[in-house]
Amino acid sequence: MQFDDDVTHYWRFFLSGTLTTLWISWLALMLGGILGTVVAHMRMSRIAALRIFALGYTEFFRSIPPLMLFFGSYYGISFALDVNLNPFTSATLALTFTASSLMAEVVRSGIESVGTGQWLAATASAMTRLQVFRYVVWPQALRVCLPPATGVYISTLKDSSVASVIGYIELTRSGLLIRETTGSSFDVFLIIATIYFVINYGLSLCGGALERRFRIVH
Amino acid sequence: MYQFNLSATKSYMEQLPWAVLTTLGLSALAILLSVLVGLVGSLFRTSRWWALRFLGGAYVEVLRNIPLLIVIYLVYFGLAQIGLRISGFSSAVIALTLNAGAYMTEVIRGGLAAIGKGQFEAARSQAMTPVQVYRYVVFPQVFRIIYAPFGNLCIGVVLGSALASIVGVEDVTSWMHTVGSNSFRYLEAFLMAGSIYLVMAQGVNLLRIGTGKYLLSHSTSATRQ
Repeated sequence: MQFDDDVTHYWRFFLSGTLTTLWISWLALMLGGILGTVVAHMRMSRIAALRIFALGYTEFFRSIPPLMLFFGSYYGISFALDVNLNPFTSATLALTFTASSLMAEVVRSGIESVGTGQWLAATASAMTRLQVFRYVVWPQALRVCLPPATGVYISTLKDSSVASVIGYIELTRSGLLIRETTGSSFDVFLIIATIYFVINYGLSLCGGALERRFRIVH
Repeated sequence: MYQFNLSATKSYMEQLPWAVLTTLGLSALAILLSVLVGLVGSLFRTSRWWALRFLGGAYVEVLRNIPLLIVIYLVYFGLAQIGLRISGFSSAVIALTLNAGAYMTEVIRGGLAAIGKGQFEAARSQAMTPVQVYRYVVFPQVFRIIYAPFGNLCIGVVLGSALASIVGVEDVTSWMHTVGSNSFRYLEAFLMAGSIYLVMAQGVNLLRIGTGKYLLSHSTSATRQ
């Protein structure tokens, strides 16, 4: 495969596309992490209605294709609420919801990994429920949550490629635009695929390292 | 003020069953083929030769770390550029199979890894043929381990098949987009199509949970370990 001179001339666009992809996925991961933590706590709440809502929430976003969420948040909300959402806001919304449903499960498993004995001990020490979370449960849950959270970041990064269909210019969209200009598809997509692979594979290596570092030996 | 009006999608109802069938057919085909890919892949991953192990590992890592959309574009546009023109449906099947095959490889490998070498040897020493070994010893145990991740993977394929609409496959997502852009009833179309995906994904999910319940109630203490 001989690389077209034209394609490499556009390296600036590949670079800015890459940075945009990293940024929007990071933003969605952070917002999704906050939202997911809330949902995870609802899932373990003492109030049945909150538990059912949280279960419905995670199952809903697990059962809807990301592409539909992008369409839904871009066109659906715009028409229904008569607001003009730009592609960035819609893409962030769609990615955040997907990430939050994944993060909810991650946070839940993290919190459940803290043994009941610790709950009892902390409560017996006259800690309030909030104090138990703040000083006992969350610090321990965090180290369990971090490795799978890199997995969520990878998944969000991959999903962010779908933002290209609503016109948000991230890495995939940059590739499509360069393809339209230069006319060479294979080269462009090969470069794009390589960039995604390098980022995600690097992240998965980091996740593996975190997992070894934070492993709790019983 | 937006008037919610579900009947606006009525005139597009005729195309909906066909769209659902397309989504189901596409997903079923990709799942079937990805099981084959996964079987071959897991054999590669556990091969005696390092070259095959490397090849299997590289396939899994590359396909797991590249967005499905990029794989679809590579197959659809990329192959066209080097002279292979295939339809949107075929390229979606190929891309979905390549993608799901990587995950399937890991699922099957994980299942096989759980079965000790001693079991193969014991079964062989009972004069079982290799087919019998797999049919009566390996498969029942592997199935117990992999049915849950397999179910999740099937849901992933159904959801991933939505991306086929980008290369012109007329599936449920494409139907939604058609309704939305023709009637501007995006929210209604979204709700319709969304609930179809919800039913499909939760259908697989319930099947998976049911299988788990069945296996638990039909397992002897020996197989439950």
